[in-house]
Amino acid sequence: MFIKRIRTLVLIAVGAMTASLALAQTTINFRFHDVEANQMRQALDEFEKRNPGIKVNLQRANWSDGRAQYLREAAVGSAPDVVQIVYVWARPFAASGALKPLDDLIAKGGLGIKGWSDFIARDLAAGPDGKTYAVPFATDTFALIYNHELLAAAGFQSPPKTWPEMLAMSRTIRERTGKQGFGFPTGSCGTPAIWFYLNFYWWSKGVNLVEEAPNGKFRISINAEQVADAFNYFNTYVKDGLNPPSMASSCSFGSPEMVEGLVNGDFAMASMADFTAARVLDTWNKRHPGKPNPFRTALHPADIKPSTTHFGGRMVALAPNTKNVDAAWKLVQFLTQPEPTFTKHLTGYTPSQLEAVRTQQFGPGMEGFREQLLLARSWGPYAIGPVSIPFMWNASGRSAGSVFIRQKTAEQAAQEFVALLNAELAKHQK
Amino acid sequence: MKNRRFVWCALAPAFLLLGCFYIYPIVFNIQNSLTDTSLFQLRQGGNYVGSANYFELFTSPEFGRVLWNTAFWLTFVGVALRILIGLGLALALHSRTIARYRLKTFARLALIVPWATPPIVSIIIFKWLLDPRVGDINQALLGMGLIREPIAFLGSAHWVWPVILLIVIWNTLPLVTLSFVASLQSVPDELIEAAEMDGATALQVARFIHLPHLKPAIIVMVLMSTFWTFNNFVYVWLTTGAGPGFLTNVMATDVYIKAFIDGRMGFSSAMGVVMAAAMLVFGVIYLRVVAAREFKDVLR
Repeated sequence: MFIKRIRTLVLIAVGAMTASLALAQTTINFRFHDVEANQMRQALDEFEKRNPGIKVNLQRANWSDGRAQYLREAAVGSAPDVVQIVYVWARPFAASGALKPLDDLIAKGGLGIKGWSDFIARDLAAGPDGKTYAVPFATDTFALIYNHELLAAAGFQSPPKTWPEMLAMSRTIRERTGKQGFGFPTGSCGTPAIWFYLNFYWWSKGVNLVEEAPNGKFRISINAEQVADAFNYFNTYVKDGLNPPSMASSCSFGSPEMVEGLVNGDFAMASMADFTAARVLDTWNKRHPGKPNPFRTALHPADIKPSTTHFGGRMVALAPNTKNVDAAWKLVQFLTQPEPTFTKHLTGYTPSQLEAVRTQQFGPGMEGFREQLLLARSWGPYAIGPVSIPFMWNASGRSAGSVFIRQKTAEQAAQEFVALLNAELAKHQK
Repeated sequence: MKNRRFVWCALAPAFLLLGCFYIYPIVFNIQNSLTDTSLFQLRQGGNYVGSANYFELFTSPEFGRVLWNTAFWLTFVGVALRILIGLGLALALHSRTIARYRLKTFARLALIVPWATPPIVSIIIFKWLLDPRVGDINQALLGMGLIREPIAFLGSAHWVWPVILLIVIWNTLPLVTLSFVASLQSVPDELIEAAEMDGATALQVARFIHLPHLKPAIIVMVLMSTFWTFNNFVYVWLTTGAGPGFLTNVMATDVYIKAFIDGRMGFSSAMGVVMAAAMLVFGVIYLRVVAAREFKDVLR
């Protein structure tokens, strides 16, 4: 009797184990860096419903630490199966062996609305060996967002077209309304927003930090005077009290200081990515239900060259150590379909596909982003040159930061910055 | 002979652990510091560059500023303030007034709160308190009419170091204070009573009785605080990210910036070696001054 019972229990246990093995799920890790983690989780829940055998563990990391963290993990074979990266990470990551080549998977199809050939920034997804290592996920650029009611209160009917005009308008807004004009973060960190504004300023004047010479070598193509000119321009806002003082404790264009500053009407204009602008509009709408939104978007100021901002975006890629290639690739395919990721969940994002950009509904107040996207440029030599973008990003931000706090003059900081770039180029130029 | 073998066998696991977790990383770091390994070549490793990283480090104009920030602001000022305030607080906690009002337990419990607060939580609390838009400190100063515009404490060249030190001291002061309180408790009451009967003032009691008793504890705390502070990364990085500009960049944050932002692992390793060498100096002092005295019976 006792033996019979034991046998029954063993049989039940074996049966349960077999059943659980049969129902075993594949769990994949997805590293996502954007702040829209809740929306992404909702999209992943939908993915799991459609793919009952796959469970996605959403891992979070900060953009400023994400690069180093992923590279460390990839070096020891413990990177997440799928990782969200920025456009300019794909090439150096591929060169360091931190991403899995995707050409065979891409050849199977099932990506995006019109297939692989419709994807934007495919060139940036390629490694130095010509293989493809990432799939562009979302694209974005910066545009000028402004509060037209605040501009009207200061006597302006339209946003500024040039940099001097923006400065002059900021002075007038300050004098006539007591509010600030153009608000931007002046704090320092590894990835400060001032990097973008400095580049937009330089590009509008036809200047680049790095250029590729006809012989294939790279050179620093900006001089200390041009750098100092930009530092002086932005420092004028700080020194003349035209930028809110609270901005000194913020370094990100998506920081609460920026979003709240616009929503509360503390300043009239700012420059930010489309998904942050969407957050501004959304926050304002929630706080003022039924009232018309005062925000509009427009092209960034121009100079001798047309208004130019960067063509930024996110990609998704697979880690070389992933053991769940099929499940990971299914997730990539799912994320590149507008429905439901972009239509239901990440509605502030624009899929990185030509068809999607053409048909994207930017919503009221966001039309400026469509115009700006058409004028956006790639990071180009910045991304493929020997001086890494994170190095220039950090160095330019801290140099500008030292001017904002009056630790150095614009000229002194500019000279040191250019010397730093040249030294870095000399170290890495092959 | 047998005894000797037993001792070696007993010590072997400890030496093995030391070798794996201390000696190997040190050797690996030194080896790395002689290469140009980049963050993107962690698998491949870098090329041998000899002492180039060290030469670049010592000739870099930024190194002097980083060293000054680390040695003067973070370590010297930080440790000095901690010891002085800790000493004052310990004497206050040990005073008869606190005992008379039965506040000893409450005061000691209150002192433990900052110590029990993890650094990241302390930093977030202070960042909120000091926030220019919604921070209570700015609101209070504005409310009292002491300032016209909010101060961005963490973005101001004048305020940023005092604020970092405030956070470091708030969070780490309790250990120093409680160590001093423990030492004060070992002072015999008869000694103080005798001094008071001889007409010694409170200041004289503190100067000639308490301080000599506290001397060993002060030396230990100065050295230990120096170790903890010189190497500290968390407070500066999470409070200011080494900014504004590079104003609060210290050696630990520079190691991080060079390794994980600039991607120069080899150069960053060289900085790490220099930091370790500086710590070695304090380590030798510690061994000579403290350990030799504390363990003189064992070492004899």
